[in-house]
Amino acid sequence: MSRQRIMFSPVTRLSGLLSVEVFLEGRWVSEANASATLFRGFEWIMRDRHVTDAVYLTQRVCGICSTSHGAVASYLLDDLLNNSIPEQGQYLRNIMFGADFLQNHIRHFYLFSLPDFVRMPDHPPFQQQNLADARFDSATTRQMVAHYFEGIKASQKCHQILAIFGGKAPHQHSFVHGGVSVAPTADKVATALALLQEVNDFVQGCMVPDTERIARTYGDYFHIGQTPRRMLSFGLFRFGEKNEQVLWRSGLLKEQQVTVPQISFIQEEVTHSWYECSPEVSRRLGVFPNSDGEGYPGVSQGSGNDGSCERHEIIPDPYKRQAYSFVKSVQYAGETYQVGPLARMLINGFYRGGTSTMDRIYARTLETVLIVEQMKEWLGRLIPGPPPIQQNREPVKKEVVAVTDAMRGALLHRAQVKGEQVSRYDIITPTVWNFSPKDRQGQRGPVESALVGTEIPRPDMLFTVLGRIVRSFDPCLNCATHIMDIKNGSPFIRESKMVEIFG
Amino acid sequence: MRKEEFAHLCRNWPVQGGYSLAGAVVPLVRTYLFGNHRRKLPVIWLETNDSGDNNISFLNATSPYAGQVFTYMIDLLYSNPFMAAQGPDALQLLTNAAREYSGKFTLVVEGAVPTKADGLYTVIARTPERPLTAWEILRWLGPLAEYVLAVGTCASFGGPSAARPNLTGSRPIQDVLQRPVIRVSGCPVNPEWFVGTLAHLILYGMPEVDDQGRPTLFYRDTVHRHCQRRSYFDQKVFAEKLGDKECMYSVGCMGPATLADCPYRQWVDHVSWPVKANTPCIGCTNRDFPDGSTPFYQSLAQKRPKEGGRA
Repeated sequence: MSRQRIMFSPVTRLSGLLSVEVFLEGRWVSEANASATLFRGFEWIMRDRHVTDAVYLTQRVCGICSTSHGAVASYLLDDLLNNSIPEQGQYLRNIMFGADFLQNHIRHFYLFSLPDFVRMPDHPPFQQQNLADARFDSATTRQMVAHYFEGIKASQKCHQILAIFGGKAPHQHSFVHGGVSVAPTADKVATALALLQEVNDFVQGCMVPDTERIARTYGDYFHIGQTPRRMLSFGLFRFGEKNEQVLWRSGLLKEQQVTVPQISFIQEEVTHSWYECSPEVSRRLGVFPNSDGEGYPGVSQGSGNDGSCERHEIIPDPYKRQAYSFVKSVQYAGETYQVGPLARMLINGFYRGGTSTMDRIYARTLETVLIVEQMKEWLGRLIPGPPPIQQNREPVKKEVVAVTDAMRGALLHRAQVKGEQVSRYDIITPTVWNFSPKDRQGQRGPVESALVGTEIPRPDMLFTVLGRIVRSFDPCLNCATHIMDIKNGSPFIRESKMVEIFG
Repeated sequence: MRKEEFAHLCRNWPVQGGYSLAGAVVPLVRTYLFGNHRRKLPVIWLETNDSGDNNISFLNATSPYAGQVFTYMIDLLYSNPFMAAQGPDALQLLTNAAREYSGKFTLVVEGAVPTKADGLYTVIARTPERPLTAWEILRWLGPLAEYVLAVGTCASFGGPSAARPNLTGSRPIQDVLQRPVIRVSGCPVNPEWFVGTLAHLILYGMPEVDDQGRPTLFYRDTVHRHCQRRSYFDQKVFAEKLGDKECMYSVGCMGPATLADCPYRQWVDHVSWPVKANTPCIGCTNRDFPDGSTPFYQSLAQKRPKEGGRA
């Protein structure tokens, strides 16, 4: 059977830039290469800066999930400076983080995902939609298109809640190390509650029924785009004076077993990624190990570079042959893992479904409903008072790692400091897990596994089917474009118990 | 409406609940387009090297919302995050738009342009033959556009994408285009700065810009000038820490060295801005953001000792 090479590029309706190369054998996808084509290099940008710059600067990694980078950088600094977070600060932080989740999930569902299933009006920016497989009648279509525009308003209200407390959005200002710099005054709380009620009405009145309609009408997508049942979460919504508790537990789901993940089992490699770590490349690209001559510890490496990474850092090389992405391959104990709302819902036992395209969409809407409920409760627990913030100034450690789940899944920041200056900063974003290119054994990441084996019923449905599968992962390629290497023996992820905070 | 009145609308409209600049300009634009039998502003929007925060911030425009801007003000012919078309169809739309609207379209760019490694650090699309870099597409579209709008600080001045050590050689789009670029800076851009500038292009053409290419409608005065905490500064009463209610100069505020109307326009339906959140302005509209603003919590005098703490 002849093998046909197709370039699905650009994959639109997402954050950042993505191309996917697929190979078809007959009607079946036989191989897929997901290609993140944007590199920014925030790890280098963070070096030699004051470590407290991390909250505002790393938010600039990503526009649609900025609060998650601000949050994890704040947890990192709390640990570094031994801050104790006031209780009101804990609620405020999670209200702001929750608001950004709602913004993200509503925008993903309506702006990015809906045009995969619903015929949009034939004028800009919806022209040439080529939805080869539209299944809704015209009345339902009209209603869902109207909800697309209502979704823009609802997502704006989510960011308004964030801005009431955070000063602006994206890239809020008040959720920083030590707590939150804004006082939970009665007027702010009342306005936020009113806005949340509007968001709640939209979620219950539009997003939930629309999700159910799509799930029912496109039920075959509960069997399309399945991945191996390996899921990872670092836990979500941290509480406690030392951020030591999480509301939704962290976990590693494999074959129905949920265990606690440990950072030392995370490995990365660059066989098919546009990175190298040899001295020649360092010279050619004009990048050298840090000024005091210390090398960086390497990761397990493919492509015959063994050993050299001990002395030279991993640096981008967009000319590298055989490579096809700025995302590195990341594994936990040698296997790839899927991250995101589906992983969180399965690991916490809130959802008992499969690992398909529609399961991912369904779990994201379910999570939206759960977060709205949590936020109502948290807002009700705010007591008007002074800004709940207590910042220490002296670092008590030289190396810290912090984790949380972000909208798209597990997010990790790690810093090494000399005094108050960053000597090294590493970030592993959720997109790196989901969009991992193949490792040296040819093991596929979650997106590539979901694509391979898919049947394309008719040639004109090719991009429609591929687009639905890829977008169900909520791709964000701005976040994808950062790299790190993991040092052996890094601290464990704190054990994240399923905490019953509200009894 | 006369141009002077429009400028007044942008600069001085009293800020109160329910007011929105977009809300004011969309009906103006509709009336103008209808009365003059003109079509909406054709726009090609490229995302290059950035965080995508500017298209997210655009979605925070209020009453009318971003959806109404699509419906009543602009024809968004190409936009990676918003367009329904995908894959080769999307690229075809880009080519068609550039041809059909040559000399008439407005090119909106969010993100800087990497110039190292032949531009391969930002590839807009891959064809079976070769990658199409942001650098290449910009050099193709730049000369064909009627106006070029840099949205956000990365496109305007390099911004975080070009922060030291700038491995990718990211540059402001002006540097690779050799033509006038309207720089609507901010990290992210305030949606009203962007929508207001689009309205000016439709109604009156090129807006007045300052010596750095920014529309004076929005970037005329320093943040410091209209800051609600100016009296604390004048009395030399300074905050000791984040969360305090006094002047934020002591904890790194860039207000005196930053041109923007944040103190009265504020963000996301005018609810707040960084100083109101008891934190410093970090100067995100500036040419040298972020390198000129870090360490964020160090006072201007310490950050810029040679200039005596001034811009």
